[in-house]
Amino acid sequence: MAAQKTIAIIGATGKMGGAIAKGLVNGPNRLLLFGNNQEKLSGLLSALKETKRDTDAEIIGCSVDASWEADIIIAAVPYAAEATLAEQIRAVATGKIVISISNPLSADFCRLVTEPGTSAGEQLQELLPHARVVKAFSTNFSAAFNHTDVSGYKLDAFIAGNDDEALLEVAELITEVGFNPVIAGDLTFSRTLENMTLLLINANIRHGYKGQAGWKILHN
Amino acid sequence: MKIAEALQLFLWLIPDALYMFELLLQKINEKVPITPEESAVCKTFFIPKKLRKKQYLLQEGDVCKYVAFVEKGMLRSYTVDDKGTEHIMQFAFEGWWLSDQFSFLTAEPSVYNIDALEDCELLLLTKPAEEEMLVRVPKLERYFRLLLQNSLIAIQRRLVSSLSHTAEEKYRQLLASCPGIAQRVPQHMMASYLGITPETLSRLRNPKNRKV
Ligand SMILES: NC(=O)c1ccc[n+]([C@@H]2O[C@H](COP(=O)([O-])OP(=O)(O)OC[C@H]3O[C@@H](n4cnc5c(N)ncnc54)[C@H](OP(=O)(O)O)[C@@H]3O)[C@@H](O)[C@H]2O)c1
Repeated sequence: MAAQKTIAIIGATGKMGGAIAKGLVNGPNRLLLFGNNQEKLSGLLSALKETKRDTDAEIIGCSVDASWEADIIIAAVPYAAEATLAEQIRAVATGKIVISISNPLSADFCRLVTEPGTSAGEQLQELLPHARVVKAFSTNFSAAFNHTDVSGYKLDAFIAGNDDEALLEVAELITEVGFNPVIAGDLTFSRTLENMTLLLINANIRHGYKGQAGWKILHN
Repeated sequence: MKIAEALQLFLWLIPDALYMFELLLQKINEKVPITPEESAVCKTFFIPKKLRKKQYLLQEGDVCKYVAFVEKGMLRSYTVDDKGTEHIMQFAFEGWWLSDQFSFLTAEPSVYNIDALEDCELLLLTKPAEEEMLVRVPKLERYFRLLLQNSLIAIQRRLVSSLSHTAEEKYRQLLASCPGIAQRVPQHMMASYLGITPETLSRLRNPKNRKV
């Protein structure tokens, strides 16, 4: 049996936070849920227990405590909130995997607000120099977590990071959630991944996929 | 504002980070004085980890990835025999280190379990982090050498004690080396550590049966 991992989801009340939590109950994970909306948090907790009766999950009232207790921290918050969060959890994130899921989109979804030579993933790593930042889940729509098979293919979930062991651990989480993990490369690949989502979102709006879409590399 | 209130407010304002390493730095400085700069470097290598009572840090069959320093709470390491009986190898209180050195050094699966007997605040060090820290702060080589020396002595004593001491001598030695243990550790676990039955231990603990 694989050892239990304690995973803090900061922003568990959001669309992504909730979707990731629901996926992670499939693995041997203990989930620590943090968000500001208590009603949504209790709703999520009940939903998790409904999915799996012996779900090991708990609402934690403080993002620092949740991160302190965790082995893996998922920052499921908007890009604009990441710098403040990083400041708060810096001391307790040393050595831990911190998953960056954000896409630094402009309000009209037409471009990324980051400069070309960097990415949200790399910026989070700069803010948390002693953590092991991994870009993951950012290329997957929250609406696709329930339907990870599209047109007969399992959707890919791309990961980027500088620590090989961390990449493998996150790949495992992605498999538990139901996507096909694809390691893209080191953390500079976050730039490409964040741009892929920009493209996917615009295609989604233009062609009306209703979020039931995602990236898939076809290969033999 | 009363002084007590002011003090409370002040304590509340101190971020956790400041006291997270208090005991570790105190213990290091007792053996090897290090500068504030070196302390700051040290802090970047330890994984701060809270563990709840009964949760595992290591399970039999997994590789022991960390050595753990206990800032708060208490850990134990133990094996489970074929009959399902637990044999406690070691307790670790505040200020102590615990790991399965064999598994930590060889990356072979461990035959031990390590779990929390109380809610814990730990500082964990991986092998690569330890190596890099020793390069950055070479003074700590001395600290870790002294630690290993002490743990070797403790193991030799425990071996002699388990081979040749009476139950009563073993119990007295445990109380002497871990004052306060009887208040924090359930009797059956102390018995398991000493390799005696809980009944024998309770007889020893009864003042009426004590040889003076
Ligand atoms: N939606 C998608 O399909 C999708 C796909 C890939 C990646 N992403 C990325 O995932 C992240 C979350 O997106 P989402 O769609 O889940 O957004 P969302 O539904 O609006 O949820 C945002 C979450 O972040 C929290 N939050 C908002 N502002 C915050 C602040 N200033 N400080 C701390 N927490 C804050 C919210 O908590 P409270 O509501 O409790 O305050 C909520 O839990 C974003 O970075 C986004 O780019 C989204």
